[in-house]
Amino acid sequence: MNSGPAPHLSIEGIVKRYGSFTALDGVTLSASRGELLTLLGPSGCGKTTLLRIIAGFLQPDSGEVSVAGRSLNKVPPNARNLGMVFQNYAIFPHLSVADNVAYGLRARGIASSEIARRVADALARVRLAGFADRFPDALSGGQKQRVGLARAMVIEPELLLLDEPLSNLDAKLRIEMRQEIRLMQRELGITTVYVTHDQEEALAISDRIAVMDRGRVLQVGSPRDIYEQPAHAFVADFIGGCNWFEGTVSNGELRLGAGPRLACSAAPQTARLALRWEDLRPAMQTDPPQHCLAARVSIVSYLGHRVRLHLRACEDGTELHADLPSYGELPAEGTIALFAFDPQRARVFATDGKRLL
Amino acid sequence: MKRAYDLPPKGALARLDPWPWLGTAAFFTVVVFVAWPLSELALESFIGQESQRLGFENYATFFASSYFRRALFNSLTIGALGTFIALCIGVPLAFAYARFDFPGRDTIEVGILLSMLSPPFVGAYAWILMFGRSGWVSEFARGFGIDLPPIYGAFGISMACAFGLYPLVFLVVRSGLARVNRSLEEAAYSLGRGRFGVMFTITLPLVLPALLTAALLVFLGVVSDFGTPGILGEGERFPVLATLAYSLYLSEIGAEPGMAATTCMILLAITLVLVLGVRFLSSRRSVASDTASDLALRALAGSKKWVMTAGVALLVLTANMPTIVVVVSSFLEVRGAVFQPVLTLANYHNAMAAMGNALWNSLMLAAIALALIIMVGAGVGYYISRRSGLLPRALDLLIMVPFVVPGTVLGIGYARVFNEPPLLLTGTYAIIAIVYVIRRLPYMTRSCAAIVFQIDRGLEDASLSLGRPPLAGFRRIVLPLMRPGIVAGAAIAWVEVFSELSASIVLYTGPTRTLPIAAYQQAATGDFGMAAAYSTVLVGIAATGLFIFLIAARGRRDRVVGWV
Repeated sequence: MNSGPAPHLSIEGIVKRYGSFTALDGVTLSASRGELLTLLGPSGCGKTTLLRIIAGFLQPDSGEVSVAGRSLNKVPPNARNLGMVFQNYAIFPHLSVADNVAYGLRARGIASSEIARRVADALARVRLAGFADRFPDALSGGQKQRVGLARAMVIEPELLLLDEPLSNLDAKLRIEMRQEIRLMQRELGITTVYVTHDQEEALAISDRIAVMDRGRVLQVGSPRDIYEQPAHAFVADFIGGCNWFEGTVSNGELRLGAGPRLACSAAPQTARLALRWEDLRPAMQTDPPQHCLAARVSIVSYLGHRVRLHLRACEDGTELHADLPSYGELPAEGTIALFAFDPQRARVFATDGKRLL
Repeated sequence: MKRAYDLPPKGALARLDPWPWLGTAAFFTVVVFVAWPLSELALESFIGQESQRLGFENYATFFASSYFRRALFNSLTIGALGTFIALCIGVPLAFAYARFDFPGRDTIEVGILLSMLSPPFVGAYAWILMFGRSGWVSEFARGFGIDLPPIYGAFGISMACAFGLYPLVFLVVRSGLARVNRSLEEAAYSLGRGRFGVMFTITLPLVLPALLTAALLVFLGVVSDFGTPGILGEGERFPVLATLAYSLYLSEIGAEPGMAATTCMILLAITLVLVLGVRFLSSRRSVASDTASDLALRALAGSKKWVMTAGVALLVLTANMPTIVVVVSSFLEVRGAVFQPVLTLANYHNAMAAMGNALWNSLMLAAIALALIIMVGAGVGYYISRRSGLLPRALDLLIMVPFVVPGTVLGIGYARVFNEPPLLLTGTYAIIAIVYVIRRLPYMTRSCAAIVFQIDRGLEDASLSLGRPPLAGFRRIVLPLMRPGIVAGAAIAWVEVFSELSASIVLYTGPTRTLPIAAYQQAATGDFGMAAAYSTVLVGIAATGLFIFLIAARGRRDRVVGWV
């Protein structure tokens, strides 16, 4: 999938076990120079373990991490030249902002005039120019995270590793900071691995996303691919909201109970159909389209930029959701309405999660 | 019809907030039993022994005498040396326990607790048994033509104290290390520092306040210790301030007071300067991490973990050697000052015959003191942690004073103030129980205040809003949640009270002699067999009590949120 020259970061068959628990089960990934690759998954999926293996804080049981064609397996963390930003910021509380940022440069024995210049540049870049002499206990969470970014970037690392950097910030600041991180990362062209469990954050910030579950990478692709062409039922379910329907495939078509049928060429089996919440839309009772279903509206939630309907399918009582534009006419709570969908938008998965259609 | 919100009792007493009253009562009690004796001593130190005039005459006398100066110098020497040795033992142990997983961790930790149990003076004559003039190690070495350096004096006292006090270093530094967030060290690694670079630029600066506190506690413990220099200093030959104050006090009874008070004040001045110095040094920057540390311990590979176990076990075993020697030798036949390799219970027979009511006194006084410490300490701990204002702050400060006042100083102060009406207490059981309570109350108030600080204030508000009067809310809601803090404070207080020597030896009279006093007297007069028997009983009872508390603490822990 990675066209062009050799990848900058390459991860080959990483396995990590803790006793009988397999944290990483043969993970292979790569990132080209300047790319922002996000590891996305629920807690316990292995994303942080993988990041810590890249950083060198953990040793894999097998497999190899290499950057710019050089294997890092035998290199200790302090010789890897990677910048890491921590979830809890990890700002040294006994050092001033400037000393925090200068820490990595001093470890490299760089001349003090050079250090002063680079620290000033880095602080200006994260908009903390006036804060050089402050101590961390006088900084807000967002400011601490910017110090963490400046400290990681100033050493001009081969790779920037971000471990849920925004999860301790409030919602508004989170959106602001993720734009800042993205802009800075593009400007410096620095290859970045970003760990998050927040799907919206991952979609917004990434060049490519690797969706992980139980120690495996289920899909790697652009945000758009991941959302629109999920390769696995887990990916479809984890990112965005899906309505799920049980059905059976036989004779070249998928039947959903007594309801709609879709053409499907897979071998006969039971299957699940996923339909995004926003792909259900109200249909006219008088002129029902071919693919539609009836449901009772139980709750209408007004969310500002859209309206979410909580539905219960008339046929078997399945709970469904429909996201509609917040303008226009809406069905009332308690009424039964008809909802249509475009079969092109439906995704069909086998019971083991593999994509069928 | 009776409605739910009619339920709270309407009596004025039930609605009264009792805490300011209880706080005031506690404050005046502490004024009488802490501030009064100490200010009396301070005053006496400024009344010239010869001229009877107010001034610095006694201090001039003190510094003019080479003997007194030597006591001061000796105190500082054993303080510094003892602190250094205790740090050398405690800091590596703290690092091992805070950072690594190795086989036998928990078992060896019991050994560390055990060394806290035996009072340093018990270790002191174990050193004599091993390294004294006719000690078996010395004899053994002499067999090879090697003359070991004498154990009497600065080196022996420092070693004996350090071996008893290193668990303080271990506990304080370990919890300091646990508060250093691991990701700080990882960040430093990823920025390019090696193992030692990270240690010196990140870890050490961050645990410095804990290290300073630990050093301070040990230093105070060493210079305040009366029993160890009493035994290993051979009386006049190696005077220190604590023993000097005691012998001056004894020789002064009936005569004009003055020099004992002056010596006490100089000892007190040293401790105050150190306390304030450490507070100043460690308050300059708050280095507490903003998130809880990742508690996962590093597993060591293959043979490394066994090397770690062996190292830690050897260190703890060495530190416990004095206690082991005492316990073993209590069952050996003693001839002169030399133990023979013959098992016997003769020491215990002799000890029981000469015991009088020392054991009973100790049990009774320690139990009464502990009960008072628990009741007063829990209440005061709650009060100073929940209420703001001048009174709680003043109470907090005053109640902590005995924590740094050497026992001998407090004992001499009590002997001065309470030997005449209005409070004639000398010679009574009460004065010893009171000095026990006052000296060890700080452990309980600190421990309780710390846990109350973690208990959500909303719980009490909820109780009030549901119609319970304030005291019922305390009794039914806060007190059960404080239990782990109370148990922890009581466990330390028990051990410290049961083996208290330095204040009670000033205050006891024949009928009120306690077990530690008996053990000390036998050791000081050279009857090592009986001393060993007394000490074994002492350590055994202290240990039994401690383990009862530890068992009581276990299993309850998980029920209290936020208590580690």
